[in-house]
Amino acid sequence: MRNGTKLLLLAAMALACTACLTAWGAGVAGAASLGLTDSGAPAAQVMFPVGVKPNPLGVGMKPVVFNHLIHEKKVEDCVVCHHTGDPVSCTSCHTVEGAAAGKFITLEQAMHATDIAKREKGITPQSCVSCHEKQLARRECAGCHSIVKAERGNDWCAVCHVVTPKMTQGQMRKGIEGKMAAAENLHLAEETALNKPQAVAVSPQAGPLKVLIGGLADKYQPNLFTHRRHVASLMEAIKDDKLAQAFHSSPETVCAACHHRSPMSTTPPRCGSCHTKDIDPANPQRPTLKAAYHLQCMGCHEGMKVERPRKTDCATCHKPARQSAD
Amino acid sequence: MNRRKFLTILGSAGVASTLGTAATATKAEAGHVFPYYDESYGVLHDTTRCIGCRRCEEACQKVNDLPKPDKSFDDLSVTATRRRTSADAWTVVNKYEVDGKPFFRKLQCFHCNDPACASACFAKCFRKLPNGAVVYEGSQCVGCRYCMIACPFYVPGFEYDEALDPLVQKCTFCEPRLQEGKLPGCVEACPMDALTFGRRSDLIRIARARISENPGKYVNYIYGEHDAGGTAWMVLAPAVDGKGAKVEQNPIDAGHTMKQLGLNTHLGTQPMGELTYGALGAVPMIVAFWPVLFGGAYAITKRREAMAKQAQDAAVNEARQDVAVAVDAAVRKLEETEGPGAADRARRAMTEALKAREAETAHARHGEEN
Repeated sequence: MRNGTKLLLLAAMALACTACLTAWGAGVAGAASLGLTDSGAPAAQVMFPVGVKPNPLGVGMKPVVFNHLIHEKKVEDCVVCHHTGDPVSCTSCHTVEGAAAGKFITLEQAMHATDIAKREKGITPQSCVSCHEKQLARRECAGCHSIVKAERGNDWCAVCHVVTPKMTQGQMRKGIEGKMAAAENLHLAEETALNKPQAVAVSPQAGPLKVLIGGLADKYQPNLFTHRRHVASLMEAIKDDKLAQAFHSSPETVCAACHHRSPMSTTPPRCGSCHTKDIDPANPQRPTLKAAYHLQCMGCHEGMKVERPRKTDCATCHKPARQSAD
Repeated sequence: MNRRKFLTILGSAGVASTLGTAATATKAEAGHVFPYYDESYGVLHDTTRCIGCRRCEEACQKVNDLPKPDKSFDDLSVTATRRRTSADAWTVVNKYEVDGKPFFRKLQCFHCNDPACASACFAKCFRKLPNGAVVYEGSQCVGCRYCMIACPFYVPGFEYDEALDPLVQKCTFCEPRLQEGKLPGCVEACPMDALTFGRRSDLIRIARARISENPGKYVNYIYGEHDAGGTAWMVLAPAVDGKGAKVEQNPIDAGHTMKQLGLNTHLGTQPMGELTYGALGAVPMIVAFWPVLFGGAYAITKRREAMAKQAQDAAVNEARQDVAVAVDAAVRKLEETEGPGAADRARRAMTEALKAREAETAHARHGEEN
């Protein structure tokens, strides 16, 4: 009986999978669609840099495709983003140059500000960046993100500022003038969202199983660092996180949390390549090798609220050397 | 010139000269430059990194050959008590609660740019060296412990157990090790680089960079950059953001956190010594002036007494001579009229009478004295 139930369940699952896959294939073949939102808003939208004086040639910052479907599931209430309580598009008040309706807060500020003053009454607005930054306090993010600050270069901008190459100059011009029809906008947005390439993170299997850290062994025995276990557990925690998937834009991004400040690579340099055993007079701010290890390990553990081992339980990570110094 | 006049003149001269010294000291204050060494070294203590492992204390004890403490350095529970530096422990690490979270801070001599201990020491035992260290040399020390009172950080310790020649002891910045090109013991031993050694000017840059690169991690205040006129050892304090509120970035608001870390932000930006240079500058003047004042007063009193005695003696002599002359004249007259026998008797009687009177006055004086 029990086996029968199991079999039935498996059959149902297989059927569901097939149905889904077929539906997905049909979707790609036919009109690509993200699905419907609960709120009734478009599933995705291209956010153009709408201005009072749009460039006649349609030149401007690359628009952002905002996936409304994913984002609305992550917030409790529409007012988290639509802070006036009126669910209109951001650019109706916040234009490139700033307008009276948006209290002259420019579109750039509205989307990127991180230092937002708390409002006396009503809702304190949030920007894209400020809300994303808040997510880094989550346990699964806080470990790496407390020891490394993500580099905010062009790659970082391009995570959001990306639009399908099929968009024409004319469409851009219409967009920045704020005259694009909703259906056309949705079509462009879905086109971008569905064809967005996604980086596949390096597998933990690609890294070493264990690493012997013994260059400094003196009072304590070398430490056998369980490299794969650490990487696997970090990646397991964020495997379904859309935010992490979007911003971990290169396969080696996760590696760069510990293997920082060098070009991203699956074969990163050793810690001792930069961190010298004794203080480097040319770079007094750079931690020495011993401190570099401790700061990285303990920094990440503290961020993830790993209570054990305590920071002063030296022997948990590296056993004391056999002949004690004292 | 009488005594009162002399005293008045001397007194006013003294006050004037004292005021004069104080005034010049105050004037010098504006331009007072304690040798400030641009190239001096310092240490930046990052309390967000410190884990309270006491390796610095252990290293300090080892490199300075200090007596071993009763409780081993592996006993970390001692950090819970607010310990102070002493003659036997030049550095201690204490635990502080900052907005409910535990943090550790290492205490030792801050090696002030313009040390208060040096300004208070009249034996000139303390010196600020060009490498940044404030060092103590005890051969002239009289054990007054003014340095301990002067220090705004309560750092110097006194060898109370020492019966003969007790000295003041405090962190030397491992001066002898610096001379050898080595790091201070504690800095070398720190497993977290919570102590960063470097030129003071570089350390301020490093501290600023850390504050700006890690928004929300540190309080925007480098303790010791300006406090007490600036110190070689400086402290970075954590910004604890428990309630998710925005972390205060205004240096004015740093006092709240600093206080919880046991750091006083009300020491001002003026070196402690500048409060006392004026008054203490007058000390040598007073030392020179007091012997003259009291010596003079003593001399005048003595001289007046001597003069009075002389005058009295002269008067007494005169009176005595007057009596003698009168008696002589009377006796001579008696001799002329009644013969030498009577004259002799009279002279004897007179002499006896004088003697009796003198004895009587002496007795009376004696009685008065009693």
